[in-house]
Amino acid sequence: MSTARKQAGAELLEQLGKSGYGKPPLGCMQCGLCAATCPLGSAMEFPPRNLLLQAASGNLDKLLESPSLWMCVACYACSKRCPRGIELTESLWPALRDAAMQRGIQPPAELQETFQNVLKYGNVLGKSPRARLDWTKSLDVRVLDLSREPRPVDVLWLVGCYPSYYPRNQVVARAFARILTQLGVAWGILGTKEKAVGECDRMFGEEGLFETLVEDNRKLFDKYDFGKLVVLDPHAYRALQNFYPRFGAWYPAQHYTTFLAEYMEQLRPLMVKPVETVVTYHDNCCVGRRCGCYDPPRELLGLISGVKLVEMAHNRDDSLCCGGGGGGMWLDAHIVAHGGQRLSDQRVREAADSGADTLAVSCPYELSRFEDAAKVTGLEGRVKVRDIIELLAEAMDLGERSVA
Amino acid sequence: MITSDEELRIGVYVCHCGSNIAGAIDVEALTKFAEQLPHVALARHYKYMCADPGQELVKRDIVEFGLNRIVVAACSPNLHEPTFRRAAEDAGLNRFLVQIANIREQVAWVTEDKQEALEKAEAHLAAAVRRVAQHEPLQRQFVRIVPRAMVVGGGIAGIQAALTLADAGREVILVEREPSIGGHMAMFDKTFPTLDCAACILTPKMTAVKLHSNIKMLTYSTVESVEGSVGNFRVKVRRKPRYIDENLCVGCMQCIDGCVFTKAKFPNAFDQGLGLRKPVWIPFPQAVPPVPVVDPEVCLQITRGKCKQGCVEACGERNAFRFDQQEKIEEYEVGAIIVATGFQAFDPSVIPYYGYGKYPNVYTSLEVERLLNAGGPTGGKLVLRDGSTPKRVGIVHCVGSRDANYHVYCSRVCCMYALKLAHLVREKTDAEVYNCYIDIRAPGKGFEEFYNRVQNEGVRFIRGKVADVTPVAGQGTTAEGGLVMQVDDTLLGKIRQINVDMVILAVALEPRADANEVRREFGISCSAEGFFLEKHPKLAPVNTANDGVLLAGACQAAKDIPDTVAQADAAAAKALMLIDAGQIELEPNTAWVDEKMCSGCKTCIALCPYQAIRADEERKIAVIDQALCKGCGTCVAACPSGAAKQHLFADQQVNEELEGLMNYV
Ligand SMILES: Cc1cc2nc3c(=O)[nH]c(=O)nc-3n(C[C@H](O)[C@H](O)[C@H](O)COP(=O)(O)OP(=O)(O)OC[C@H]3O[C@@H](n4cnc5c(N)ncnc54)[C@H](O)[C@@H]3O)c2cc1C
Ligand code: SF4
Ligand code: SF4
Ligand code: SF4
Ligand code: SF4
Repeated sequence: MSTARKQAGAELLEQLGKSGYGKPPLGCMQCGLCAATCPLGSAMEFPPRNLLLQAASGNLDKLLESPSLWMCVACYACSKRCPRGIELTESLWPALRDAAMQRGIQPPAELQETFQNVLKYGNVLGKSPRARLDWTKSLDVRVLDLSREPRPVDVLWLVGCYPSYYPRNQVVARAFARILTQLGVAWGILGTKEKAVGECDRMFGEEGLFETLVEDNRKLFDKYDFGKLVVLDPHAYRALQNFYPRFGAWYPAQHYTTFLAEYMEQLRPLMVKPVETVVTYHDNCCVGRRCGCYDPPRELLGLISGVKLVEMAHNRDDSLCCGGGGGGMWLDAHIVAHGGQRLSDQRVREAADSGADTLAVSCPYELSRFEDAAKVTGLEGRVKVRDIIELLAEAMDLGERSVA
Repeated sequence: MITSDEELRIGVYVCHCGSNIAGAIDVEALTKFAEQLPHVALARHYKYMCADPGQELVKRDIVEFGLNRIVVAACSPNLHEPTFRRAAEDAGLNRFLVQIANIREQVAWVTEDKQEALEKAEAHLAAAVRRVAQHEPLQRQFVRIVPRAMVVGGGIAGIQAALTLADAGREVILVEREPSIGGHMAMFDKTFPTLDCAACILTPKMTAVKLHSNIKMLTYSTVESVEGSVGNFRVKVRRKPRYIDENLCVGCMQCIDGCVFTKAKFPNAFDQGLGLRKPVWIPFPQAVPPVPVVDPEVCLQITRGKCKQGCVEACGERNAFRFDQQEKIEEYEVGAIIVATGFQAFDPSVIPYYGYGKYPNVYTSLEVERLLNAGGPTGGKLVLRDGSTPKRVGIVHCVGSRDANYHVYCSRVCCMYALKLAHLVREKTDAEVYNCYIDIRAPGKGFEEFYNRVQNEGVRFIRGKVADVTPVAGQGTTAEGGLVMQVDDTLLGKIRQINVDMVILAVALEPRADANEVRREFGISCSAEGFFLEKHPKLAPVNTANDGVLLAGACQAAKDIPDTVAQADAAAAKALMLIDAGQIELEPNTAWVDEKMCSGCKTCIALCPYQAIRADEERKIAVIDQALCKGCGTCVAACPSGAAKQHLFADQQVNEELEGLMNYV
């Protein structure tokens, strides 16, 4: 019996080694750095080190049924720090979740609903694909919808689910459209044909759903003639950069911060309005820790006159997760129910401690997460949450007066 | 000896090297192939050519069959070329009429397909046979060795090596960059595992260095350049000005009291910046030589050209101050060099999660060594930044070691010094001590016993790598006291928060920041992690790829004092062996000038990187000094008249070798 178990564990690890998602976890020395690093480790029944140990020993039964299996929010902190270079975030966690679902173990309900939404509607919010262009209604610049007017463009902008549908994020989408136009970029979008890039599904072991999305998107992208993909959503960036190529789907992709940072010299003279505020920037986990890109967002903020940039105690590699990654957006209730804290609350407190009055973000999820957190922690009046795009647009006098 | 009209009779020997070669190449087929090559009188294969019977075979055949050229198809010439050259010489053949075909490293070990391997081996063999046919007998040449050694770095490694050589009656030049010798060991209070007082065992050696008539000690000095080669190095040493004449200073230190700065206000690097010093200063009380230095960056006389010069007044009639001292370059000739430049401690401020440099009561181990040292900034009192005594101390193991993000290697001594610090902290403060470790590495003599002793003294051990050091909640980010270490107690299976008021980071030992420049200066290489590379990890641990340059101590790899001292003595023995040989054989592949062809254009003279060529103005030709020529071939390629030629690399020899190779590829 125990040898059979051991074998199951060994097989699992070996399989992971071949999966192409990071280094195989065979070299773990059980130092526990990952577990003590994990922002939710203390609340987990099986924090990363123990997760790996139990899996390697083939003790899967308890592991797969534990609520802690659904608590990792893919912040990548454990992977970044692991002294043996093991990337649990993208390998063992999804693999175990996949194994759990194959046994018929259900993920938390809210998360399941999200997967259903993606499957049925192609977006995480469960909205109609036909409504994907609603955000452009009040827009005062021309939007090139490639699905209606196929034409070569330099930039194919994947607007993303939240910026397309969610009112708070639609403001950001419109501001970005204006900035692109002001910069004279030849850009287009996929209109109602756009679909989620997929990332949370992959992190949550929904490998099958993810593969479908990769296939659908590949077919879609290949129809158009574009220079590169630009995304607002860091998670989409992580997927395009790190997961898509595994399926032979390689597209040059940029997160908007890196993209705009290439236009530094063109942007500089366009900064016509000072924005008097003390800003601290929250490094999101995907563009930051996962992809190692820290300077472009700060350089962009540095362009705006009146902005004073301060750092939070945890920044760059050491940034604290907002808790929304890899499906975490739909796990707050599950995490809190099992003794975890809402990570966004902690982060907003840190932002306030830094002396900033604006918390700048570059991720669609973070806007609402941090705004909620500011309310919950009573910091609403003290810390205003804004996307870098909004700050740039304001400085360029392209802001949306009705919403501001 | 053979004359040019004598018939060529080449003997070919194919070695099996056990199964190393025979397992990959059909040695019988190769031998048959050799037999039909031009001038080959006989070809044999044998199990181990390098063994005595193999060598005997060659000797006997030379005599019996009148062989006058030998080709051995075996391992790299690096290994056994000297062996077969000697065998040939023993049988009366000039030793340079032997050629090696390397069919092990270049064929057997790197070629999977047997047929391919055979064909490749044939090409190598044919090349060797055609080449050796062109060889001519050469004379062996010897040069005198300078019977003096240089030791670079005056830590415990350099001190030990210098004393051993000096006690053996050899002259030693000891070069140390800092104002005093002693290195890291001089910073410690006690040493593991015996807890000897570091100063008590080190200072007698330091004084011995100073007093030894065979040692010339150059402190505050660095090596500027190294020329020449084994047996005859010419080393330029840059000597920084102390602004005090070492011969006149008596070491009274009254100038320090006399300095117009009544209070010390500049960080003392030896105290890791925890202590302060004046513009005229000495790193620690027992410094050797006991001569202060004046810091030109802050001394008023030097920076502003104006000062009351309290120091000079205090010095009085000893009159040792020399504000006009300039940097000097001195040149030394030595036969061997021991590099003993040591290590540096890892700077943990690059790891954000330990808060070093951010939270005042997070210290490095080296800082704590200074705090514990009676001669240190607090007179040996272990205190927090606010002067209070710590009550709970956390020690974090493996900081910068065993970590793919920093150094993958284990630093070998930090577990042991962390145990030592735990013991000393408890002894001096009675504080609770928590050592957080991944594995305790205590494999030396008396080490496990020491570990056990420290356990029994009540130090707490938590198995887990600390993930975060943060201030206690509510105290802001720069709080004076109150730190929390977050660690996964992997034995308990529980993530714990340990409250402490001092954190000590057991930092890695890493290569010095300037290791790459130093490496280049001495013509040696570094291994992947940046420590200097020994010639062979097991069999030549103190030699380097550059003959005559030896290694000792922590510059070669992280190691403790016992290992350092043992290695220093080994390096000294190797140096002694070398310089005591009196003379050294030169490589035969030197260049020479065919007088009849030389036009005296002097093109080659400027090009030679070793300044080995001079012009004979009378005869209007260039002359190459055989002792200085390194056989690089630059002049041979450059000579417009084709007059510069090279032994063992004559055009005909190289061409034939290439022809041999090309015919079979
Ligand atoms: C915190 C700590 C505690 C330790 N405690 C112990 C202990 O208790 N017991 C023990 O056995 N080991 C201990 N060690 C290990 C010990 O420090 C080393 O084994 C030892 O110092 C190695 O000696 P070394 O001479 O090779 O190097 P170093 O001590 O580093 O000496 C090298 C010398 O070379 C000089 N130098 C460097 N570069 C140049 C240059 N380019 N030109 C001229 N001179 C140069 C330096 O100034 C220095 O004086 C400890 C190490 C640390 C970090
Ligand atoms: S940090 Fe890496 S080596 Fe350490 S326990 Fe976690 S996975 Fe294993
Ligand atoms: S990725 Fe983040 S949340 Fe997930 S286990 Fe690692 S540290 Fe924890
Ligand atoms: S010259 Fe002045 S500043 Fe310099 S060491 Fe002497 S007294 Fe001090
Ligand atoms: S000696 Fe101990 S503390 Fe140092 S790196 Fe090795 S295991 Fe870590």
